[in-house]
Amino acid sequence: MKLWSLMRKEFHRFFHDPRLIVTMLLPGIVIFLLYTFVGEAVHTEPEKQNYKVFLQGESVTTAYIQAAIEANGDTVEWLPVENEADAGAAVEAGEAAAIMTFSTHFDDVFTDLTKTDGTVSILYDPLNEAGSSFYAISNAVLQKIGMKFSIQAVSIASEEHIGREVMQQILPFIIVCFVFSACMSVTLESVAGEKERGTLSTILVTSAKRSQIALGKIVPLACISMLGALSSFLGVVFSMPKLMGISVNFLGGYQVGSYFLLLLLIISFVPLIVALISTISTAARSVKEASAYTSVLMILVMVISLVAAFLPAIGDWVIAIPVLNAVVFTQELLAGALPVWQSLVSVGVNLLYTAALVFVMTKMLSSEKIMFGK
Amino acid sequence: MSEEIVRAEALKKTFTLSKKQQKIEKTGETRRIAVNGLSFSAYRGEIYGLLGPNGAGKTTTLRMLATLIRPDAGDAFICGHSVVKDPAKVRDEIGFMTSELKLEGFFTPDYLFDFFGAMHGVEKGVLQQRKRELFAKFGIDQFAEVQVKNLSTGMLQKVSLVISIVHDPSVVIFDEPTNGLDVLTAKVVTDFLAELKAMGKSIILSTHIFSLVEKLCDRVGIIFDGKMAAEGTLEEIAKGDLETSFFNLYHALKGETV
Repeated sequence: MKLWSLMRKEFHRFFHDPRLIVTMLLPGIVIFLLYTFVGEAVHTEPEKQNYKVFLQGESVTTAYIQAAIEANGDTVEWLPVENEADAGAAVEAGEAAAIMTFSTHFDDVFTDLTKTDGTVSILYDPLNEAGSSFYAISNAVLQKIGMKFSIQAVSIASEEHIGREVMQQILPFIIVCFVFSACMSVTLESVAGEKERGTLSTILVTSAKRSQIALGKIVPLACISMLGALSSFLGVVFSMPKLMGISVNFLGGYQVGSYFLLLLLIISFVPLIVALISTISTAARSVKEASAYTSVLMILVMVISLVAAFLPAIGDWVIAIPVLNAVVFTQELLAGALPVWQSLVSVGVNLLYTAALVFVMTKMLSSEKIMFGK
Repeated sequence: MSEEIVRAEALKKTFTLSKKQQKIEKTGETRRIAVNGLSFSAYRGEIYGLLGPNGAGKTTTLRMLATLIRPDAGDAFICGHSVVKDPAKVRDEIGFMTSELKLEGFFTPDYLFDFFGAMHGVEKGVLQQRKRELFAKFGIDQFAEVQVKNLSTGMLQKVSLVISIVHDPSVVIFDEPTNGLDVLTAKVVTDFLAELKAMGKSIILSTHIFSLVEKLCDRVGIIFDGKMAAEGTLEEIAKGDLETSFFNLYHALKGETV
C-alpha cells in the first residue's frame, strides 16, 4: 500500500505537470526534425561522376569495369600514362581517380588456367571520393571474375593522412560532447538547484544587481566548465590515436596560429553553452525540469555538430550559427587550413550570443513570474 | 511622532488564477486581487505588525516592500526610496526574513556572513567588526565554521536572522517570524526582534498570531482581503482584548462569524 502510494505520487507528479510531459515528448520531436533535416542534407541526389583513370597495360576487364560504372549512370575516361610522376601527381591532386596498371599478358589468365602470375594494381587516394569509389567498383568487378590473379591496392594517402581525416571529422564532435557535459554538470546544480532550494531568492533580496547575479553565475561556471572540458579534451587528444590504432601525433605539424584559434573557439563556445544552460535553469522550476530541457538542448547541439561532418563546404554563413560555427572552423583548422577572420568573427558572434543570454537571464531574474511563479 | 520610515501608498497587486485554481474555487475569475489599495506608515524604532488571516495579502505586501515583486499600482517608500523606482536602494535599507529564503547548506555561517556582507557592499573592516559582535551576541561564534546543513534548527534560525541584518539595515521586514518554529527557536526570534527594536531599528512583521502582536508590536494594521480594516496602536485597536476585537471586526466587515 505504501509502495503503491509512493509510486502513484511519482506518476501524479509527472502526468499532472504539462511541462514535464512536454519535456518527455520534446526529444522525440527534436530527433525527428533533426534527423529528417540531416537525412535530406546527406541523401541529396549525387552528382554524376566522370572517372578519369590512367591505364597502364591492357585487359578486357576494363570493359567490365566500364560497364559497371556506366550501369550506375557514371562515365569513365581511360587516359594513357605518358609520365608516371605526372599521373601520380594528378591522382594526389584529385584530378584523376586512379592509376590502373595491368601486368604484361594479364589476360592470359583467361585462356591458360595454369597461369597465376597476373597482377593488377590500383593506385588511388582513399580520401578522394572518386578515387575510393573507383577502387570499390573495380575491386568488386575483378573479385566477381574470380580468376587467379592478384589485385594490389596502392593507397597514396599515408596513415597520418587517414588519421588526420578521421580526427578532423570526429574531434569537433567530441569537443562539443565534452564541453556540453562539463557545462551541464556544474550549471544545472548551481542555477536550477539554487532556485529550487530558495537560496537564489536570498541573493535577490540583496542590493546586488540582477545582471551581476547573472554574470556572477555564468563567468565562474564557464571557467569551471572550461577546466572540465580541457581535461576531457586533453584526455581524448592523447588517448584517441592509440585507441584508433593510429600511430600519429595528429595535432603535430599545425601552426601556432591554429592552436591559438582553436583555443579561442573553445573559449567562446564554453560560456555560450553555460549561458544557455543557465538561462534554461533560471526558467525551470526544478533541477528535474531543467535537466529535461537541457537534454533536449544537448541532442540539438550534438546533432548540429554532427551535421557539420555530413555537409562538406558549408558557406561562410555558418559564422552566424552558434555552435556550428565553432565546429566547422575547428574542422577546417584540423584540416590544416587557417580560417583566421572566420574564426575570429565566430568567436565574436558566440560572445555576442552569450551577452544576449546574460541579458535574457537578467530579465528572468527580475521577473516575479519566473522567480516566484506569480 | 517620530520619523516616518516606511510609507505604503495605495499598494495594489493582482495575480492570475490558474485553470486548476479556478476549478477548485469554482470561479470563472482569471485574476485575484491579493492587495487592494493598502496604505500604512511605520516609524523609526517601532515594531509594526500586519495582522490578518491566511490569504489576506500580508506576505504579498511584505514582498512588495522587499522589492521581490512589483506593485501593479501604488508605491511604497522605505527611507524615502521608492520600491518601484529605486529597488536597489530599498534593498540596501532593508533586511528581509521569510521561511522561503534559505541559506546554502554547503557553506559555513562565517562564509555566508562575509558573502552577504559583500552583496550589500559592506566595507571589509566594518563587516568583520559586525561579525564579531553579532556572532558573540547570538552565540554563533562557536558554530562559525560548521556547515549550515549541520546546524540545529535554532542555530540555523539565528544565523539566518544575523545574516539578514549583515548590512545594518534601518528597516527589518519579517514574514511570519515564528511560523513553524518550536517554542525555543520562536523565543530566539522574539528576543531578537526586541533586541533590534532596542537598537533603534524599525520592524515590520506579518503574523496571524495574536500573542505575538500583543507581545511585540507598537502599532498594528489588520488586513482582510487585501484591504486595511483597522490601524492604530494596540490600545486603539484592541480595547482590552485583541482577539475579540479582531473577530468583531471580521464579523462587521464580512458578515460572517467564525
